[in-house]
Amino acid sequence: MGILRYLVRRLLFSVMLILGVSAIIFFLLNAIGNPIDVLMADNPGITDEALAAVKAYYHMDASVGHRYLIWLGNVARLDFGTSITTNLPVGGMLLTFGAETLKLQIPAIVLALLLAIGFASIAAVRQYSRLDFGVMSSALLGHSLPGFLLGVLLILIFAYWLGIFPSYGAYSTRNPLLGSTVIDGLWHMVLPLTMLTVFNTATLTLLLRANLVDVLRQDFIMAARASGLPERRVVFQHALRNAIIPVLTYLGILFGLMLATAPVTESVFTWPGAGALYLAAIQSLDYPVIMAETLVVTAMLVGFTLLTDLAYVLIDPRIRLD
Amino acid sequence: MGAVPPRLRPPGQLRQGWQRLRRNRSGMLGVILITIVVVVALIGPWLAPYTPNDQSAMLGFAARGAPNWAHPFGTDRNGYDVLTRVIYGAPTALAVGLGAMLVASLIGILVGGIAGYIGGLADELLMRLTEFFLVIPVFVMILAVVRLFGIVVVGTWLERVPFLNLSTIILLLGVFGWPPIARLARAEFLRLKGMDFVEAARCIGAEPHDILFRHILPNALPSLAVVIALGIGGAILAESMISFLGFGDPKAVSWGQLLYFNYQVLKVAPWAVLAPGGAIFVTVLGFNLLADGLSDAFNPRLKQ
Repeated sequence: MGILRYLVRRLLFSVMLILGVSAIIFFLLNAIGNPIDVLMADNPGITDEALAAVKAYYHMDASVGHRYLIWLGNVARLDFGTSITTNLPVGGMLLTFGAETLKLQIPAIVLALLLAIGFASIAAVRQYSRLDFGVMSSALLGHSLPGFLLGVLLILIFAYWLGIFPSYGAYSTRNPLLGSTVIDGLWHMVLPLTMLTVFNTATLTLLLRANLVDVLRQDFIMAARASGLPERRVVFQHALRNAIIPVLTYLGILFGLMLATAPVTESVFTWPGAGALYLAAIQSLDYPVIMAETLVVTAMLVGFTLLTDLAYVLIDPRIRLD
Repeated sequence: MGAVPPRLRPPGQLRQGWQRLRRNRSGMLGVILITIVVVVALIGPWLAPYTPNDQSAMLGFAARGAPNWAHPFGTDRNGYDVLTRVIYGAPTALAVGLGAMLVASLIGILVGGIAGYIGGLADELLMRLTEFFLVIPVFVMILAVVRLFGIVVVGTWLERVPFLNLSTIILLLGVFGWPPIARLARAEFLRLKGMDFVEAARCIGAEPHDILFRHILPNALPSLAVVIALGIGGAILAESMISFLGFGDPKAVSWGQLLYFNYQVLKVAPWAVLAPGGAIFVTVLGFNLLADGLSDAFNPRLKQ
């Protein structure tokens, strides 16, 4: 099968996945109750006529299927509707808040990958040494400590007890640190970035070390060593290249889940990102924001899975396209 | 059959696995941690120094009190004894983990088993369904569902169902948590259905359900147990995060909810956050280590 046909087929399937998931979520939320009924639950004095009028005004008297198609048609034109709470276009809100989320998540993944390459190489080269044991134990601990608990610990120690870093927010409300908003922003990023990086690094190190140990045992490594290559080149040029390929899957998942895991991170650090936006939208029953964000979260996961698979095809010619 | 003296019979797969698990240090640590949580959950009412709803510390200006002899883990912002609440959180956590994974295992093994055993079109369709469920953003969706459901049930008979909110969370975690189990079950059923002993069972005329449930399933269980153990830890963690965000069950005592109530007073009463946080960590770590140990014990070839 040609790569173009493979690409088109995968792309179509991905779009179908996203559509299907959005339909499930739309129907599930509407099965619980008509949005207008839910929104008017704390307004029991409303008359039936007024309720019907509100429903008609927002086209909420149509059937669920009909409303899904209307919503889908708008989304196709990149119109995610208007937020009930802020009256702003939801698309713009998602971009603004999403940028704050990615500002934390992307550096956390990149940093974690670099650190994991270092740690895993050290551990794998000195397999079963005390150093290896230390690195692996720390990685196992970092992997098992739930991220939000680590965040709480970081705040307690570095914000409350030592008073070095701020405990919440992305910027100071007034008097930015050293009079610079850039430094102030970076200063606020330290703790949340640490929390995300520790977890990602730990998991990536575990995966990468296991792969490296396997690869270092293979014949071509022995051949490379026998040909007199310095050990550093054997590990970094020959072994690491092969060991990192299986890690791509996990890397894709990390990128795909950037928005999905944001509510917890951003709740711990009161970070003004897409996760915080989502939580606020749920509290205030802001349906357009809820639907738009679940759609984007799904699209991210599906999109990065697709990218990962394509990366495999490009990197590893042994993979069959079927 | 049956004339073989019991001593001469080779130990079964389960016993062999258990013996290997006992030699596995991290696996045994996991077993110990889980045992502690289970024992605490079972004898909680006799262990806890106070009743779970005792807020009397509020009266004596003793809320947010530091750990002392009367309150070993201190008191929290609502005047609850932290140790008591942590102890009563154990059965909740286990109910979430086991309940969610029971639902997920039933669906997962059914879907994966059918796909792997029958193959062909059924396999293709079921695996596409699995891929579909795999990308549903379960966590963010549960938050929305729990919130909306909480509004709709007001004034209906559902309001009187005990632990309605918690049951909803458990059910949703299970109903949307089965894809990894299904994928593994499919691979195992596919691998096992071509093995000689299954062929032999078919030759002596065993019924299909006998082949599936008495021959294939028991041999697939060790691998599945690894994923299920991981899933239990994952479900407990998910519930604690949902509760931490404020969408937990107000009627249940849960570690995540303890975090939610006391996170704002972290600076003045850190013990009320650290104690339930530690409980979550120990429990999740226990199930992760158990999964690790099981995978080493039942698939010894993987370890080389």
